[in-house]
Amino acid sequence: MLAELKELWSFRELLYTMVQRDIRIRYKNSILGFFWSFLNPLATTLVMTVVFGKLLNNDVKNYSAYILSAYLPYVFFQSSVLDSSQSILSSIQLVKKIYFPRELLPLSLVISNFIHLLLGFFVFFLLLLLNYLINPGQIPFRLTTIYLPILLVISFMLSLGMSLLISALNTFYEDVKFVMSVALYLLLFLCPVMYFIENIADNPAVLRHPLWFKLYNLNPVADLCVAYRKILLAPTDVAISGSIAKAHPMPLPWMWVAYSAVFSFLVLIFGYSVFNRLKWRFVERT
Amino acid sequence: MSDKAIVVNNVRKTFKLNTSGAASIKTALLWWKRRKYQTLDVLRGVSFEVGHGECVAVVGRNGAGKSTLLGLLARIYRPDSGTIQINGRVAPLLELGAGFHPDLSGAENIIFNAVILGLTRAEAIRRTPEIVAFSELGDQVYAPVRTYSSGMVARLGFAIAVHVDADILIVDEVLSVGDFEFQRKSFGKIEEFRNKGGTILLVSHHAEAMRKIADRCVWIQHGEVHMEGTPDEILPAYLAKSESDLRGSPPGPVKIEGPDLGSA
Repeated sequence: MLAELKELWSFRELLYTMVQRDIRIRYKNSILGFFWSFLNPLATTLVMTVVFGKLLNNDVKNYSAYILSAYLPYVFFQSSVLDSSQSILSSIQLVKKIYFPRELLPLSLVISNFIHLLLGFFVFFLLLLLNYLINPGQIPFRLTTIYLPILLVISFMLSLGMSLLISALNTFYEDVKFVMSVALYLLLFLCPVMYFIENIADNPAVLRHPLWFKLYNLNPVADLCVAYRKILLAPTDVAISGSIAKAHPMPLPWMWVAYSAVFSFLVLIFGYSVFNRLKWRFVERT
Repeated sequence: MSDKAIVVNNVRKTFKLNTSGAASIKTALLWWKRRKYQTLDVLRGVSFEVGHGECVAVVGRNGAGKSTLLGLLARIYRPDSGTIQINGRVAPLLELGAGFHPDLSGAENIIFNAVILGLTRAEAIRRTPEIVAFSELGDQVYAPVRTYSSGMVARLGFAIAVHVDADILIVDEVLSVGDFEFQRKSFGKIEEFRNKGGTILLVSHHAEAMRKIADRCVWIQHGEVHMEGTPDEILPAYLAKSESDLRGSPPGPVKIEGPDLGSA
């Protein structure tokens, strides 16, 4: 793997060009260009806020910020993996004619999605500021925001590892892409995006059977969503179904962050080694 | 071993043929029961060397394994056994303009392709005017590549490949691009490349062209080196053999060509 990393480094100029090309192609033929990358998260947040914040009367101040803070990392993971799943096949003509490290194809897509994530967080902070200027109150920015880079690194490793694995497998079995698009859609419900982790942790039914909660936390994307939300936004009380009292916010569980870091690193190593085993056979795919 | 530009040592390459078409888990599961696929020994122990500054032409009938050999040298395939050593930077001209993206302009594609072929971005940007001039695209270079004719694509591809300062050119039948004038020009460029000490390995069916630029010929037959020598030694023998094959027994069942497997 070391030799491969060394070679990758020597192709960094190509990686840069590929990321730039990818971003350019994405918005080449649309007038609003980069705006579209924010349309999906903003529209989703808006709908979720209306349904869960207003219609279901979940009385939390600034509900949309809580949704967006977790939705952005979820969408980064989802679109990285989905985009990369086709990356080898859509460039197969190039792969058949010219040598370059094949991992550049998924890697460049993960990086361009990562750039969208960063821009998404930029818009997120802008919205926080805007909200503060309109209804002044507590300063919305929190000191714990300095932990954001740590979470970003973990998210990046996880997405890249999965993308390498899926792109390699999908090159041989195109079913993988369909399975993944369903799995990634379902993942949204398994992550605390449109609800709070306290909704699950303090649910009487879950409290009676703690194993459910443990299983829920095995999902590293869910753990990351919790962490992003906790470091970026003030803790808030949450109404729990089946109980009259509101749940107090739980502190940021660093254990989960550590777990997802280790998990993500292992996924990255595993994904890359599978990719390296299969990459010479991409052109011989029948 | 860096006294040679290319050292090919006892290289073997076998392709697996999957007779059922679709790549899916279903097929894989069906295979599980009766896992059989045909194998095709495209190269069976090929060895030869190319010195620095030499121009070697590979000849052989369709399906002899020429294009697979070039693919191995361009690192698109990995040999099943044997070794390939290449000392220097390779620019493969296997299919001109293969890496172009249709929605990007010619100019943007120049940068991308030149960087794949090993230039840095800065170098690629510096070279662009020269490449555009050689390709004779003019202002069209700012239009998306999807609006180009196939000749324009090939011309641009060729122009990029010969302007990336490679040490070794690997050329597969691409000298017949563009109109007569452009062919003459690209031929001149290849000769200029040679005169500067560049190494060339080419595949061609164009006897005249090979006689003109090749120092040596390697004749590949049935995945093995059949004969090696100067063009004057090899070409008459090769042409005579081809002709007698044609005149002799009518062509039997058509052999599947190695190089085209992937795209089939």
